[in-house]
Amino acid sequence: MKFEKKRSSTKQEIPTASMPDIIFMLLLFFMVTTTLREVEVLVNYSLPEAKAIEKIENRRLISYIWVGKDGKIQINDSLVKMEEIQGIMYTKRQALPNVIVSLRIDKNTDMGYVTDIQQELRKAFCLRINYSANVKI
Amino acid sequence: MIKKKKTPEATIPTSSMADIAFLLLIFFLVATVIDVDSGIGMTLPEFIEDIETVEVPKDRMAAILINETGDVLLDGQPISLFQITATLKPRIQSKIDLPKNKKLIVSLKTDRRTVYNAYIQALDQVKEAFFEVRDEYSNSKFGTKFNDLDETSQNEVKEAVPIIISIAEPEKIK
Repeated sequence: MKFEKKRSSTKQEIPTASMPDIIFMLLLFFMVTTTLREVEVLVNYSLPEAKAIEKIENRRLISYIWVGKDGKIQINDSLVKMEEIQGIMYTKRQALPNVIVSLRIDKNTDMGYVTDIQQELRKAFCLRINYSANVKI
Repeated sequence: MIKKKKTPEATIPTSSMADIAFLLLIFFLVATVIDVDSGIGMTLPEFIEDIETVEVPKDRMAAILINETGDVLLDGQPISLFQITATLKPRIQSKIDLPKNKKLIVSLKTDRRTVYNAYIQALDQVKEAFFEVRDEYSNSKFGTKFNDLDETSQNEVKEAVPIIISIAEPEKIK
């Protein structure tokens, strides 16, 4: 009597025909979620960490102010002086009345400096601010 | 009879399609910066030239002072930075049932030389206290966390536990 191994007659292959479709789906997802960085950050900063963090729902309302380790202030694409903040932010507010100012300030900055910026923002009527911070784990 | 030449099937070779798609996929994977804008939200007061000062009863206020070395003073008592949440929580909770104009105000004051990081840590502790009270309140009333509530009940909780933080201007160093 001959013994034969039982083998299924089905093909032992993974169907790869739908692979491109799956990959394209992933691709589309990443293409949609990608936001290419529009501005080049000119200052060097490291954010503080915090736990009680909220996300900003509407990205289009955000306008950034960077403050670097050496105290340089950047708005949009250029470095600005303290006295110029008010004018720039006021025009921004006129274009976008409910603008949220995201403050990306280096964690070793003096509070006096931060307060001066806040004072300028108050004069420009940009009252909604957000202290940018990383999530503490 | 002459045999017709067999025409080759006119298909686009799709075997390399997956590779091309992979290449594109990898490009977008690398280029993606999912940077969520997260942080501590605040609303600044309007800029008014001559400020009217209003007396606030002492038990309504929690005054936090941070000096330039990062020491914290809460209502005159020196405490560590990480105790702020625990100290503020019962004080917020005791004012849940009070009317709107009697809720706790947290005042945060720094020196001009205080490091920004210390200020954010303190602000974080204060916010954390408010969030925890909100969560506990909504848990006891609706049975879920604050973030899972619908908008009307969220507003109700917000009404009961409003976040009032006053940022006092730092004093000038003489």
